Amino acid sequence: MDSTTTSLDFAVIGHQDSWDNIHGFVNGLRTSSQGELSLEKVKSIFPFIPPRELFRVEVNSITGKKINGVYIDTFIEPDKLDPRHLRANISKVQAALSTAKKLGARIVALGGFTSIVLEGNLVEYTSDETKFTTGNTLTTAYIVNGLIKAANQYNVKIEDSELLIIGATGDIGSACVQYFKNKCKKLLLCARNKRRLHALSERLATEGIKNESSTSLAELLYKADLIVCVASSSGLAFTKCKENVIICDAGYPKNLDTKIENNYRQIFHGGMGQVSEGFVFSPDYTDSFYQYPAPYVIHGCILEAMILAFANKYEAYSYGKGNITLERIAEIYKLGLKHGINIAPFYNSKGLCT
Amino acid sequence: METLKKELKSIEEFNVISDLFSQAITGELIGMSNFASLAETIDDYLEKIEAVEHANSERMHAEAFLGYAEKHGLNVNINLEGEYWRTVREHFLFYAKKRDFIACLFIQEVILESFAVSMYRDVGNALGGEAKKLFLEISAEEQEHLEHSSDILKAEFKKDPIAFLAKIEEVHFKCMTILAQFSATTDLRGHCGICNGDCMKGSLHHVGLKIETMRGNALALYAQALDNIGIPGEKSIIWIAQLPA
Repeated sequence: MDSTTTSLDFAVIGHQDSWDNIHGFVNGLRTSSQGELSLEKVKSIFPFIPPRELFRVEVNSITGKKINGVYIDTFIEPDKLDPRHLRANISKVQAALSTAKKLGARIVALGGFTSIVLEGNLVEYTSDETKFTTGNTLTTAYIVNGLIKAANQYNVKIEDSELLIIGATGDIGSACVQYFKNKCKKLLLCARNKRRLHALSERLATEGIKNESSTSLAELLYKADLIVCVASSSGLAFTKCKENVIICDAGYPKNLDTKIENNYRQIFHGGMGQVSEGFVFSPDYTDSFYQYPAPYVIHGCILEAMILAFANKYEAYSYGKGNITLERIAEIYKLGLKHGINIAPFYNSKGLCT
Repeated sequence: METLKKELKSIEEFNVISDLFSQAITGELIGMSNFASLAETIDDYLEKIEAVEHANSERMHAEAFLGYAEKHGLNVNINLEGEYWRTVREHFLFYAKKRDFIACLFIQEVILESFAVSMYRDVGNALGGEAKKLFLEISAEEQEHLEHSSDILKAEFKKDPIAFLAKIEEVHFKCMTILAQFSATTDLRGHCGICNGDCMKGSLHHVGLKIETMRGNALALYAQALDNIGIPGEKSIIWIAQLPA
């Protein structure tokens, strides 16, 4: 670690989800005399910038404790998240991990797409001083608790409902399956990988869990009373849903409300949490980062690292695929509450849900 | 002399390659002059010797490029008074006169060498053959200059981070602004005074190059060089974002 840096409680590795955000961010850094850069010019420079820390974050707990962290951007292009660019993107994530280590971060959350390197064991993630977590356990906790809360709000009984999980074989999707398998009438499982989906369905059937699976969303969508989407939403074709379905949109990017007909009871962006005592960015880039309809809202995966830092629990809490346990979902959720961190108010791209 | 011309597919290709060599030779001669001036700013005799050695190394690079150009009958134009190279040299001399070794080192071994290492690599890989060997060998040697400066600058940063950052920020905006204007898709300060005819940037595709990629790779290497010195990313991102493009 460089002598000019101080040890950090946590680091967050992420990427931007739209060129509009990036364009706004870059021009926000320029002075009026330097003038604005066109989107085309920003696109010709941004992807070449090596991963680096963009701002410091101070987070407050209801206990009075404060922790310090940093946000590291990978500079992955938002329209290059598909498998064709996997190798280049992984190399950017690796460089970001090195930056986090160099800065002396004690725990690092890999947000959004970047968690793929931990889920797929694609890089060496163990280190004596720096621990890495995908943050998927807390994201799962916020998804499942959010869905229960929404169902209660609308007097929908989960035990009488058919629950569709889109992305059921992924790390978070399979954790949601484990959580709800004994709680709902029937599980509807959708995933892109036919072999993994079939294996999951068979395994549940041997446990006596009623389920139906398909790689075709259209075959399951119209039957669902509740939907959790934890898959990439690009290429997802939404046909007609059941009247008054409740949807937890926890995929990437969260844009299902722009894709489906307006016959849902509620659609909310899931997996998100809120820090009651707030956080401060330095420099203050709140105009460009984490803009949500409610204050201090942030992704569950990022909050997991913050909660672990508050709890002095520096460990690779979420790693690999299929390792999320019900005990850990309950534990991390409870730890968050202790520091005033809870599920975010329900919102979607139109604003706060009423 | 006829060998390369026969291999070339078009006159456009010949012109671009000529211009690429003109830029490389001019850049090396500027580097040679800068290192010679840098030697004046150094008190430590061992470092002084090293600066003269580096000047000699840049002279040899210029001669190697020149030798290749003559052998292949390229139409090279060397102009140390060209707009961009002259301005960079003037900024360097401004600091040399103040005997500001750190500023001089940063201009020559971080800013200019980042662009040289990266662009030589891109050009070499695009041209192939004997030219590739020449560009890549020189790129590797320039890489050593870049690495040599990193340790000195890192140590200087540790001594007084605030003063160091202020100085480097000033030098960055003076010199990187020139290189950013030079490597923009259009020459933002007018013709460079080196290319034969129009700016070669619009013709780079004739040899499989793109100025956007060359500039991007050079900026990436520069950003990494800043990281290696220990300059915080939250600072360097602002410096880079504020450059002309």
